[in-house]
Amino acid sequence: MEQLIEQLKSQIIDALNFEDMTPADIDTDAPLFGEGLGLDSIDALELIMLMDREYGIKLADPKAGKAIFQSVRTMAEYIQANRTK
Amino acid sequence: MRVSQEIEITPTSVILNGTPIAVSETDSKMLVELYRRYVGDYPKFFKMDTLSRLGFIGAEMMLKQSDTSSQVSAVILANHSASIKNDNDYLATISEGNYYPSPALFVYTLPNIVTGEIAIRHHIQGETSFYILDKPEQLKPIVEATLNAKYSSLNCVLAGWCECSKADTYYAKLQIIWNN
Amino acid sequence: MVYCIGHSIISPLGEGSLANLEAVRTGRSGLRMYDHRFADVEPFCASLFDEPQAFVPLCIRSVEMAVNEQSMLSSKDTVFILSTTKGDNLDLWTPAQTIAEHFGNPNPPVVVSNACTSGVCAQITAKRLLEAGLYKYAVVVGCDIQTRFIVSGFQSFKALSPEPCQPFSPERKGLNLGEAAATIVYTSNPQPTGWRLVAGSIHNDANHLSAPSRTGEGAYRCLTDVMTGVKPTDIDLLGVHGTATLYNDAMEQTAIERAGLQQVPISALKPFFGHTMGAAGVVETILCMLQAEQSFVKMLSGFGGVNAAIRMLCE
Repeated sequence: MEQLIEQLKSQIIDALNFEDMTPADIDTDAPLFGEGLGLDSIDALELIMLMDREYGIKLADPKAGKAIFQSVRTMAEYIQANRTK
Repeated sequence: MRVSQEIEITPTSVILNGTPIAVSETDSKMLVELYRRYVGDYPKFFKMDTLSRLGFIGAEMMLKQSDTSSQVSAVILANHSASIKNDNDYLATISEGNYYPSPALFVYTLPNIVTGEIAIRHHIQGETSFYILDKPEQLKPIVEATLNAKYSSLNCVLAGWCECSKADTYYAKLQIIWNN
Repeated sequence: MVYCIGHSIISPLGEGSLANLEAVRTGRSGLRMYDHRFADVEPFCASLFDEPQAFVPLCIRSVEMAVNEQSMLSSKDTVFILSTTKGDNLDLWTPAQTIAEHFGNPNPPVVVSNACTSGVCAQITAKRLLEAGLYKYAVVVGCDIQTRFIVSGFQSFKALSPEPCQPFSPERKGLNLGEAAATIVYTSNPQPTGWRLVAGSIHNDANHLSAPSRTGEGAYRCLTDVMTGVKPTDIDLLGVHGTATLYNDAMEQTAIERAGLQQVPISALKPFFGHTMGAAGVVETILCMLQAEQSFVKMLSGFGGVNAAIRMLCE
């Protein structure tokens, strides 16, 4: 799980173009949206694409993403349970 | 028409109001260098495509020089190849057999997005327009006609050429233009 | 003030402005499902030509249909203004030049690329260039052709409705894309009768790249500008952008209410044509004129996205 979390942080930094940020800068349990990283609706769509591309998970309903994208940990837990690759 | 500020940016040089600015980087890295030196507190910059970074930095450097930011009521830009560099970046995300369209790249597949980025940064709620023209000098009559238009209520516009055809091939010449 | 002296629409619903009006009047929509139009792209609902069309020939046909006197097109007093978002396979300049050259026009064309509002903005540009005395005639052509590029991008935004769109309905699920070419010709030479473009205004929300302001600020300012000296009760028809996305329609509704125009009948045409992008502002202006001719005389058209509005008057 810890390995998946680290890998996921790197992928998020990559996908969302956070120049100069390292995985250590992202708090595993901090909210991704709102205060925490301050992501917006397009970032949410980019995270949906990341889940599909890297883990073979298709989220048809963007609203379902709300619970999954609470933090890096909730995302990693969902990926571990649902990944197809 | 009166020009109060002017900036010219190429992949190897920056000239602000006639004075060359020393830069150590070139190409797309130079825009990041300028961002760190003159802005620094707007991380959204890193999400922008090169065309938007170019226009954003040019606007930023001119407006930092003076207190005209609050008086600019329109952003009118033009170029020759629209958003082709970013269009090609987006195309790479939908290549055959590797189809994962990127929403963050698709946002920037319109040339007028750079005018929006400048308007958002400087809270400009006047006109934003983007034209595709053959040559930079063809923008002048359009800007003049805009400044003189009855309902545009414009006195001060940020206007110019903002072109990026490939990753490290770009050119901007932007001005702050006044109606009087 | 500039005067409209010709127009045309070519869409999946028909050839010519009147054929398209007839389709709207009889409730015929161009929207249907496409399963395998583009490789990889998931099925989508749109209004597309049965036979895929080439961009430049489609524009040329649209211009020929809109203009009675073809000699005007080659005059040095005429400027071509192309409104498009993705042009001919991502190239915007070359098709504009090819169209102008086809008609022997000596002037460099102008391409307006202002996202969804391009078609309305192009008419405003035409008005300004004519009023500045730079030209006597402006031929405004709006056109976009749907491609794998565009459809995949809108799908990545989760912005497409799986069924025909329903602007301003609580049931709305997003937009549909569409294809069309439309031309509208303006002149600064006064005409005794017919439609004239009286006012035009463009404003940015300065809010977010892909989300309109909650207060409809840009659209509201456009409406206020073009309504200068006119009462809401003087307006007989309001043509709206009406993409049927949640945030666009809410923004437009707010702007309309703030401008006191909520009693004015609305024309929202995307359930018939889909969102024809660069063509939308031109197609919808023409159809608003024709709808208004039936019983109305004044109208207001087209805002959303960046936000632009024009006011038209018929004498």
